[in-house]
Amino acid sequence: MLTADSEKLIKEILMDLVKYIELLRKNIRPLRNILIGFLAVLILFDLILPRNEAHSHSFINWPAYWTVFAIVGCFLLLKVGKGIAHMFLSRDEDYYDK
Amino acid sequence: MTNSWIHPAVFYFAGSLLIPFLKGRARQILILLIPVLSIIDVALMREGTYGAVSFLGMDLVFGRVDKLSLVFAWVFVIMALIGAIYSLHVKENGHHIAGSFYVAGSLGAIFGGDYLTVFIFWEIMAFSSVFLIWYRKEQKSIDAGYRYLLVHVFGGLCFFTGMMLYFYKTGSLEFVSILPENAGLAEYLILAGFALNAAVLPLHAWLPDAYPEATVEGAVFMCAFTTKTAVCVLARGFSGFEILAILGTAMTVYGVFYAVIENDMRRVLAYHIISQVGYMVAGVGIGTEMAVNGACAHAFAHILYKALLFMGAGSVLYMAGTAKLSKLGGLYKYMPLTMIFYIVGAISISGFPLFSGFVSKSMIVASAHEEGHLWLVNFMNLAGIGTFLSVGLKVTYFAFFGKEEAPIKPKEPPKNMLWAMGITSALCFIIGVYPKVLYDLLPFPVEYHPYTALHLSEMLQILCFTGLIFFLLVKKLAPEDKINLDVDWFYRRACGLFMKFAEAVIARVDRFWGELYRTLGLRFLFKDADIAYGFDRVVIDNVVDGSAYGVRGIGRITRKIQNGRIQAYIGFALLIFVLITWFIIFGFKGL
Repeated sequence: MLTADSEKLIKEILMDLVKYIELLRKNIRPLRNILIGFLAVLILFDLILPRNEAHSHSFINWPAYWTVFAIVGCFLLLKVGKGIAHMFLSRDEDYYDK
Repeated sequence: MTNSWIHPAVFYFAGSLLIPFLKGRARQILILLIPVLSIIDVALMREGTYGAVSFLGMDLVFGRVDKLSLVFAWVFVIMALIGAIYSLHVKENGHHIAGSFYVAGSLGAIFGGDYLTVFIFWEIMAFSSVFLIWYRKEQKSIDAGYRYLLVHVFGGLCFFTGMMLYFYKTGSLEFVSILPENAGLAEYLILAGFALNAAVLPLHAWLPDAYPEATVEGAVFMCAFTTKTAVCVLARGFSGFEILAILGTAMTVYGVFYAVIENDMRRVLAYHIISQVGYMVAGVGIGTEMAVNGACAHAFAHILYKALLFMGAGSVLYMAGTAKLSKLGGLYKYMPLTMIFYIVGAISISGFPLFSGFVSKSMIVASAHEEGHLWLVNFMNLAGIGTFLSVGLKVTYFAFFGKEEAPIKPKEPPKNMLWAMGITSALCFIIGVYPKVLYDLLPFPVEYHPYTALHLSEMLQILCFTGLIFFLLVKKLAPEDKINLDVDWFYRRACGLFMKFAEAVIARVDRFWGELYRTLGLRFLFKDADIAYGFDRVVIDNVVDGSAYGVRGIGRITRKIQNGRIQAYIGFALLIFVLITWFIIFGFKGL
């Protein structure tokens, strides 16, 4: 449905993308630093944010509540999830065929 | 508009019957034409009640067209078109026919104005969708299909029984909104039937059991229709049921919990459907206008991005031959377009700003917040973390990046698959940037604005810090060649255990009983026969013989009397005559 030219263009863009990803995988440090900087900005942004449009005045509207929530929640999901899986749920793939 | 109304399911029923008669390009055009015609049909539709039929004294309504049914009809016909494009290369006619009947079933169910109509289309859905599993033609899929069918027959029976009780109670089958305080056994049975299709805990295990075993193309259809039809009928009949708010929220967390630990891409996504439908069920359960709006908006957005994710995972399975994360990695080099489309689906589902999940999921969370259900808000956001962690980061990372050297080096999938994914990606983006197109379709007027500073800040914090933890603990998440037990264990394993129990214990009891019967029973029988024989010989024979002896004795005496002397006879007779006369005369006198 696309013309041959545009297909070629898409292919070239994708090749560039793949090369760029390869480059990033070799040297992730700059990207990592940018992302860490972004996280800091995010927390600062939340600290100064006016909260008059919030739906309630409960604890979930505290500044940076969702930062703490995400860190703790993510950690719990990973640890508890994998823990329960290993302890009770995990079986070999042919478990039901036996 | 005139009063004429064409049921969109008609196009699918009629069109699918023509499919076997066409070949090549003409067949492909027909497969695409069916959903296109139904899209035009839905676009021309006006609200109202159509297709009312009287059948066996019951009033059936095939076309209740209102805001609620229209929003679902829109997304269903769009999804049918996307699914048709994606499965254009499939050669089996039966696969296309099953897909068409499946779509027709869900369209019929959402437009149904009475329980019986809903039920009929409900069963069409179940019995056509199972073929999308069986067409995979592997033993595992055939087994999973039978389980899928059995579970859905059970759900259908719950629904049917509830419907009958409801008819007995109210004398009507009209499908109206039920108030929680009026609900009795009948209503709860109907609710259970609906809840099973919506994969509400603990009736959910059929979903992650069946969907990963379906065909690559079939799974794309399946992930869209069954659960969302159930959400539609739940919203129509059961909004405001608190139990749904709680169960729905539990589903959101339950689904992501399994999605985090599963290995197969399509199993991760299947579990994740439970989580996403949980948001919708919770929205229906909260029951406010905003919450029901949110449930519908989320169903709309979810169908698109979940289908996109299933198409991405399906493409990997189709080209690489496996969807197991432990066997994949480094696919970005070989399937970059698929990767881009998958990532669009992943960030849409995670609720990144500018993509569709951001404008739909947050409506439900905000309505829970407005109603003061703070715990629900927290759990829903915990599920949001799990969503990004599992579908967004884990699958993307381990399938498309992860290993340095790709173990499997597949090519991009066929063009029709790429087009289907591209169109869906565009729709996810359009809805995210311009949510008004979606909000205008919703059942109630929308006063919600997703792009506020507070909401942006909340979502970005959740997503970015989840990303941080993921990259710190990425080794802990490494996929393993394992499966995880769920409640389907009870009917998969426990039935097997029951059979073993039957073989080991019941059969042994049976053998023991047989032995007992043989030894004791036969002995008893022999003894019994002995006793009967003895009784016969001693008692019966003696009685018979005795009476014979008696008769012989009497005969002997009689013979002695009958000695031929006539005078003795006369004397004897006279003596008897005198005795009788004496007895008559004097005997009665004395009485």
